[in-house]
Amino acid sequence: MDKKLPESKVIVVTSGKGGVGKTTTVANVSSALARVGYKVAVLDLDIGLKKLDLLLGLENRVIYDIVQVIEGEIELKKAMVKDKRFPCLHMLPAAQTRNKADITPEQVKDVCEQLRPDYDFIFIDCPAGIEQGFQNAIAAADQAIVVTNPEISAVRDADRIIGMLLSAQFDDDDIGLVVNRLRPEMVKDGNMLSIDDLVEHLSIDLLGVIPEDKNVVISTNKGEPIILNEKSAAAAALNNIAMRISGKEVEIPTFQEESVLQKLKTFGRKFFSTM
Amino acid sequence: MFELIKRLFQSEPTSRNQANERLRVVLTHDRMNVSSEVINQLKTEIIQVIARHFDIDGTPEVNVVSEGRNAALDINIPIKGR
Ligand SMILES: Nc1ncnc2c1ncn2[C@@H]1O[C@H](COP(=O)(O)OP(=O)(O)OP(=O)(O)O)[C@@H](O)[C@H]1O
Ligand SMILES: [Mg+2]
Repeated sequence: MDKKLPESKVIVVTSGKGGVGKTTTVANVSSALARVGYKVAVLDLDIGLKKLDLLLGLENRVIYDIVQVIEGEIELKKAMVKDKRFPCLHMLPAAQTRNKADITPEQVKDVCEQLRPDYDFIFIDCPAGIEQGFQNAIAAADQAIVVTNPEISAVRDADRIIGMLLSAQFDDDDIGLVVNRLRPEMVKDGNMLSIDDLVEHLSIDLLGVIPEDKNVVISTNKGEPIILNEKSAAAAALNNIAMRISGKEVEIPTFQEESVLQKLKTFGRKFFSTM
Repeated sequence: MFELIKRLFQSEPTSRNQANERLRVVLTHDRMNVSSEVINQLKTEIIQVIARHFDIDGTPEVNVVSEGRNAALDINIPIKGR
């Protein structure tokens, strides 16, 4: 199958704080794009702590890894793991028994240059932190997705990361914010930062909002991308992000539902208007 | 239900408001790479310098204000006229 776009895009998914949903985002957005026929490569740069193979359900198909490619032990094409469910999706696994310092930003750039002619999108799963692993992950990217949770510690780290991206090769327009694990009912009760709060603090454009959803855990258990689950709110959100990345002008669902108080007021109004 | 009625009448800051307030301060300081301590020190020093040359009249203000990702020092020091 041929690639669709004349220019390929390299997109790094990063966050600063660990565990906010980077790998979940990479696995599902890349699957969603591959499902509609884009050629997508995913690179796991979380060397030493790899998880992307598990989230994609490809852990049993991994033979070679990115460090072996970089050290010239194996050809890049041979190391790419193919996904049977999505023929357009290929993954370059991380090495589990090596360190982030075993590769350099230049070497990652070189791998991406080799992949560009064959893929529409190249996603890079960045490790947590701001050290070498982060520098390796951002070096080759044209655009960055910053994932955060509506929680002060994650927002502070996201802000640090955005500062570092802006001092590297990225402009404001190259950075998109994804808010993961939003709980709309907590926002309405005044107990969680809202989407507007986050956008105001971080001053970058919003790319997507993913609600807290137990289906994420269930899909991860099974090694299935969640985007195939028609009933999941997180799936709808991740599909929406993929569409926006592919250039479709769809609105971002922000899952801001009515609060109990609001509902009560509406109820009161309806109730009294019938009297 | 009681909780709700109580909430309707009390105007305590929500934890969301507190988070926003704390984030505003901490992000501004993180971006400038200074602590609240340093800002307070700076405030004292600026006021001391001005006071060497003028009679300060009223309450001097030295605040960090931020506009998007940029920050500025907002200095307002009323001076006594003749
Ligand atoms: N929207 C969500 N709803 C519920 N659980 C979620 C959601 N997003 C992520 N999780 C859970 O949070 C955990 C961390 O997610 P993930 O591995 O994607 O984060 P990460 O940022 O890649 O972490 P690390 O920094 O360790 O690489 C996982 O167990 C995942 O199932
Ligand atoms: Mg991860």
